[in-house]
Amino acid sequence: MNAILQHLVVLPIIVPLLCAAGMLFLPERRRAARVTLVLASAFIQLLIAIALLYLTSDAARFIWPEGVGVYAIGNWDAPYGIVLVVDRLSAVMLTLVAIVGFTTLIYAVARWDRPGQPFHSVFQLIMMGLNGAFLTGDLFNLFVFFEVLLAASYGLVLRGAGAVRTRNGMHYIAVNLVASLLFLIGVALIYGIAGTLNMADLAGRAATLSGEDRALFDAGVAILGVAFLVKAGSWPLNFWLPGAYSIAHAPVGAIFALMTKVGLYSILRVGTILGEDETLAAALLYLGLATLITGTIAILAAKHLARLVSFSVLVSMGILLAAFGLRIEALTGAIIFYMIVSVLTTSTFFMLTGMTDRTRIADPMVMPEDNPTAGSPVYMGYGVRQPSVYHDDGEVGIAIPAVMAFLGLMFVCCTLLVVGLPPMPGFVAKFALLSGALREVPDGPAAASWMFSATVLLSGLASLIALSRIGMRLFWSVAARETPRLRILEAAPVAALVVLCLTLGVAAGPVARYLDATARSLHQPDTYVRAVLAARSHDHEERP
Amino acid sequence: MMLGLIVALPFIAGLFAAFLSSSSRNVAAWLAGSVALASTLLAASLYPTIAAGEVVHFVASWAPQYGLEFNLRMDGFAWMFTMLVSGMGVLVVLYARYYMAAADPVPRFFAFLLAFMGSMLGVVLSGHLIQLVIFWELTSLSSFMLIAYWYHREDARRGARMSLIVTVGGGFALLLGVLVLGRITGSYDLDTVLSAGDTIRSHPQYSLALVLVLLGVFTKSAQFPFHFWLPQAMAAPTPVSAYLHSATMVKAGVFLLVRLWPALSGTQLWFWLVCGAGAVTLLLGAISATFQRDMKGVLAYSTISHLGLITMLLGMNSPLALVAAVFHIMNHATFKASLFMGAGIVDHETGTRDLRLLGGLRHLLPITALVATVAAGAMAGVPLLNGFLSKEMFFSESLQLASGSDLSLAFPVIATIAGVFSVAYSVRFIHRVFFGPVSQNLPRAPRKPNRKMLVPSIVLVLACLLVGIFPERTVGPILAIAAGSILGELPAYQLKLWHGFTTPLLMSFVALGGGIAFYAWLHHRRRSMMATPLLSRIDASRIFDLMNVIAIRGAGRLTQSLFSWRLQPQLLLIVVTALAAGLLPLVIGGWSAGGAPATALDPLFLLLWLVGCAGALGAAANTKYHRFAALIMVGVAGLATVLTFAWFSAPDLALTQLVVETVTLILILLGLRWLPRRLESAGSRRAIYWARIRRSRDFAIAVFVGAAVAAVAYAVLTRPTNGEVGDFYVRNSLELGGGRNVVNVILVDFRGFDTLGEITVVGIVAMIVYALLRRFRPAPESIEVPRAQRHDGEFRSEVSSPDEPLPSGDVRMPAVLVRLLLPFAALVSIYFLLRGHHAPGGGFVGGLVMATSLIAQFMVGGTIWVESRLKVYPLTLVGAGLLCAALAGMLAWWSGLPFLTARVIDFRLPLAGDVHLSSVLLFDLGVYLLVIGATVLMLIALAHQSMRSPRRLLSPLEQEGR
Amino acid sequence: MEIVYAVVIGILAGSGVWLILRPRTFQVLLGLMLLSYAVNLFIFGMGRLVLHKAPVIAGSGPVDPAMYADPVPQALVLTAIVIGFATTALFLVVLIALRGLTGTDHVDGQEPAE
Repeated sequence: MNAILQHLVVLPIIVPLLCAAGMLFLPERRRAARVTLVLASAFIQLLIAIALLYLTSDAARFIWPEGVGVYAIGNWDAPYGIVLVVDRLSAVMLTLVAIVGFTTLIYAVARWDRPGQPFHSVFQLIMMGLNGAFLTGDLFNLFVFFEVLLAASYGLVLRGAGAVRTRNGMHYIAVNLVASLLFLIGVALIYGIAGTLNMADLAGRAATLSGEDRALFDAGVAILGVAFLVKAGSWPLNFWLPGAYSIAHAPVGAIFALMTKVGLYSILRVGTILGEDETLAAALLYLGLATLITGTIAILAAKHLARLVSFSVLVSMGILLAAFGLRIEALTGAIIFYMIVSVLTTSTFFMLTGMTDRTRIADPMVMPEDNPTAGSPVYMGYGVRQPSVYHDDGEVGIAIPAVMAFLGLMFVCCTLLVVGLPPMPGFVAKFALLSGALREVPDGPAAASWMFSATVLLSGLASLIALSRIGMRLFWSVAARETPRLRILEAAPVAALVVLCLTLGVAAGPVARYLDATARSLHQPDTYVRAVLAARSHDHEERP
Repeated sequence: MMLGLIVALPFIAGLFAAFLSSSSRNVAAWLAGSVALASTLLAASLYPTIAAGEVVHFVASWAPQYGLEFNLRMDGFAWMFTMLVSGMGVLVVLYARYYMAAADPVPRFFAFLLAFMGSMLGVVLSGHLIQLVIFWELTSLSSFMLIAYWYHREDARRGARMSLIVTVGGGFALLLGVLVLGRITGSYDLDTVLSAGDTIRSHPQYSLALVLVLLGVFTKSAQFPFHFWLPQAMAAPTPVSAYLHSATMVKAGVFLLVRLWPALSGTQLWFWLVCGAGAVTLLLGAISATFQRDMKGVLAYSTISHLGLITMLLGMNSPLALVAAVFHIMNHATFKASLFMGAGIVDHETGTRDLRLLGGLRHLLPITALVATVAAGAMAGVPLLNGFLSKEMFFSESLQLASGSDLSLAFPVIATIAGVFSVAYSVRFIHRVFFGPVSQNLPRAPRKPNRKMLVPSIVLVLACLLVGIFPERTVGPILAIAAGSILGELPAYQLKLWHGFTTPLLMSFVALGGGIAFYAWLHHRRRSMMATPLLSRIDASRIFDLMNVIAIRGAGRLTQSLFSWRLQPQLLLIVVTALAAGLLPLVIGGWSAGGAPATALDPLFLLLWLVGCAGALGAAANTKYHRFAALIMVGVAGLATVLTFAWFSAPDLALTQLVVETVTLILILLGLRWLPRRLESAGSRRAIYWARIRRSRDFAIAVFVGAAVAAVAYAVLTRPTNGEVGDFYVRNSLELGGGRNVVNVILVDFRGFDTLGEITVVGIVAMIVYALLRRFRPAPESIEVPRAQRHDGEFRSEVSSPDEPLPSGDVRMPAVLVRLLLPFAALVSIYFLLRGHHAPGGGFVGGLVMATSLIAQFMVGGTIWVESRLKVYPLTLVGAGLLCAALAGMLAWWSGLPFLTARVIDFRLPLAGDVHLSSVLLFDLGVYLLVIGATVLMLIALAHQSMRSPRRLLSPLEQEGR
Repeated sequence: MEIVYAVVIGILAGSGVWLILRPRTFQVLLGLMLLSYAVNLFIFGMGRLVLHKAPVIAGSGPVDPAMYADPVPQALVLTAIVIGFATTALFLVVLIALRGLTGTDHVDGQEPAE
């Protein structure tokens, strides 16, 4: 138990890694074993995340006095080694990853994990990448984990081939490769000037810089910021996002709900550690508003559900960026709350599209699976001895009663979440944002706050208009469409997520308390810095 | 607690009803009815408390951080409304039970009805503004479901969607307004806000708050210019209309007006906005109602007009007017509901609501006729009926406004005119349906309605009569506590039939007489069925639809220009943004070279890079038409990079880059074949012109970026180093890291975690490539055998069968050599792996060396021949590599040390010399394995594409759409 | 030497940017390769230019860091090279697959409408 506690922080990265590697040894016909393994891994990650959630809270000060857990990889102290740091925010993000990952996996097992594509390994590795990005306290290590989760996401986006998929996937890859190069330039520049890669150490050194050194350093940070903004889907760097998200398979879209948030998280992390900065805030505000407005317009125009949902991702990102741009500390808690809600919403909605789409005729882009003749040497190179025997019973699932009613209900719930209407927590989240933006300022809210509030509400209305249009076409169109056959396995996660959202709304009190504490710790980076730099490695005489 | 029950019961019951089988209509009806009754009784039981002027509270904490709480509050006014909502609920449920067809899945209906009732009660009983908004939006949602109950009908869908968008939009405005109020008063608690009236009115943001709140109110209670959704909502089943448009939905708006009356009213702005909107709506509604052809249409517009009347009263800023308004709220609810029910019965029995078809029904439906007539009388304001009383109060209040100034004279005039019209449409309604000759062309032969169906409307009409005749004794006290709870102390007023001969009385009779005369004239001139003069031209609902369409179209066009689906614009924007972001700080903070001593320039280096840059630029210029040449040029640049690394004391980098170069080149060469042959294509002159523009733009950007990067690089290069972290590594590499090659020690120990991630990336990519190319189909025209292989008819290396000991054909000799090479290559690679920790080398380089030698086998042996001999499958190698590295990291756990802490054993090996065998080596071994597996996998994937036969081309992009 | 080094990075980066803005997939591929050379040299340069001081510890006893080049950028570049290698390979494969599916090598999967 104690040992587990000691290494708890690194487990969210190791568990999926081991699971992914293990999957490569399990042949596809051992389907039951594979499924059990991945689900177990995801579930363990969930448990770990919850444990960390508890350990970083005030309730468990006896373990980490500051509420910040530091894990020195390779037993090298910061700033020399790479440290993993878990504070409230990281814990929250990890929990999100685990929840979304777990539910998505259950959903995917129902029909989406086709053979021939190492879906499960890649999926585990994207979770590893996400967890790593949320844990690491080292700038370059952050880059590495970005690459991990991006590489995995490339694989997921390209699932199912097809011309459009491949094209959008290629765009997605190209854009992200460029962004990664920017990331590298930024990190390199920062190291070249400040001489460290450890974020906590950076905070101290950046403060000592001045004059042109500072300018060069800022240039590095700015370039880094652009890289993050590309990931965060800020307009006008987000053209790739709708294309990639709307063609991705439902479970892929569901896990992608987190990808944009990684960019946001990084901006938050680095931004707060390097200290609030007016220009950064202003940039976030205006880019955010631009993203919000453009996204809203696109939502109004969207004709297909998946596309609309992808744009709603942009809208939520716009809201988040702009909200941070307002630079109201008291708002941060609400922002995180909204982020959680929007992540859950997006994943749920993407899963839902996967089910409603089946009321349409099958997607023409999907290429026919090629069945190699038995023992063809062409495939021996891949270790596929005989053609993958896999009876896909995807279309003969048991039709759960009143499928359409269920889908309709879920659709309404998702709509309410996106639009921000009661009784769903989307309302509470948006209300918290607005009231924070309008109230917390002593000398009257700035024009920006008004603009922000108005735009948020208008975008909500726009999405209501668009969603009601699409929803009526989907569920109320007179033309009798055949009801899709659902599996409990894919219906359950969606319902579970919706229920989770509801509980979030009802339990808004305690949640808000935790998140406000999160926000406070986020705005006192010196706690974080102290914790990291103070953490001494274990006795060195243990070493050779 | 009781309040909580009142609000909660309907929701719970609704949830139950939702799960009833669609056939069990009686159960659902009983459930709904009893719940409504229960709420009524619960409320009634609170009467003594309320009558005593107390305010009942029920508060539960929710999210204090956001200023949210669950707060129910019942004062006199809320009590009156609760009675109205729940009592009317009972009657409507009873009515609906017999109205709805047996085939309808009524449980769903009742579920939504209950949900709606619950939300309405929530609105009425909210003691917290945000909570009020929440229930407000809930009424919009549940009413949407009710209006769209027969969603298979187009008009139902349209009406429902319209009402949803309008009311929810208003709700958002209301939310913002409430937020402003909360900001002004510092609290969302109703009591606090109500008591802070003066602060609010004097606050600079008062007008903003007022306008926003009014937006919410007017959309909800269908005030001009938001009145259009209400007639569209008539597509709902009649019981729904009877409920929504009499006592509940639309009344929510005026309810809020009364609620916030103490806080917001009393200013000029309030007067002009509220009273103005009310007056316009009153007149507009009355006139349009007179010319409707659908019974429910008449009622809908009359509802609008009566709501206008109430709004106007509330806008007058006088306590007495408020009393009148509250009074009329009750009266209107009673007679309007019974009229709707009447219309429903007519529709139910004759199958139509069209005034042109109907006629003389008093012979067939006597009771209905009687009831409807009385109710219509109340609506018209005939003495002895409740409508008369409140209307007379309205008239007298409108006179109060006419204080001299000419403009204010308008109000009594408007009031009278509206009165005339309301009489006219009431008379017309009754006369058309129940009098005149019995119409012959009814869709269905009228049947006697079910008596139980009549009960609700009879009850309501009796109420009208009683209130009309004995106001003081029946409604007096209720009105007193209701209005009293708003006003504090009541103004002097007396509810009685006869006030003597007064101007209001005169106005009433003018209205009655004028109205009857007007209808008679219309009827006489056969004009009673004409379309509404003027107003029929401007149909607000059509305008709404039009705006909707325009918005969507416009958005579509905008989206095209806001989000390009093409790659180049996106990359361009990213590059430019990054450039701008990077330069901004330098522009602000200034830029100059640092002072560190520069290293002396070596002409060789210069020469090297003259060649290298030539390669880069040449590649940039030639890639389009001469791929192979360009590839070679890029290779040259790469080579220059390698040498540079070697030059500036980075042997590891040089080595790695070299091997990577080689492998990448092989990969690309393998892939090159599948690209289409490119020929100079002369496009149209315009195209060429634009291309030139684009190129010069991109060229400029490229130059800028290059210059910027160079400048920044130079600035840093010439600054003194501060590699304090690096120094630590150098100092401790041997002592703590146990390796002489610092870079390698960093990679596998100090920063081994990076390497773990890095090899994971390689592994993932390998898996993706594997998955992608399994299903890849080459384009047909690039299938034919490459020229290189076509020299003697067939190409042997490809067809050599797996069981031959050696590939046959003219590649046999090289094949022998390459196969002999294999073991040596293996040795070399292992040597690199082992020495890595002390000298340049390491797992990655070793792995790549091994992989290249395997590739060589492919080149000479041919795909089939080699693949049939591969004993270890690449994917397994990848997995093994990952496991190996991870386990190496976890070894430390046994000695209670963090992940990736090095554990060591030293010993001598004859060939490799002093070997430093440790978890670190195991880790590097993982890298080695993975790199072999991944690289071989990619190369195989590309190599054996040549085995593929073309498939039919798949549906081109254009069909798939984007 | 620094000035040459910087200019070199500039030229590589410039030609890389030029190429990634071109409409053909292969051009983008080579552009990315050139860019990654530039970036690798850039990162490497962050450790400043040092001659004949390869960070391989010679002899034993206390070590004087001044005698060795800063190893950190080298390590970073190594990681960058490897990741770059992987992603380049992936991009290549996707490029081929796209060409196979759409019949063109335009980045948008279809020839621009004249």
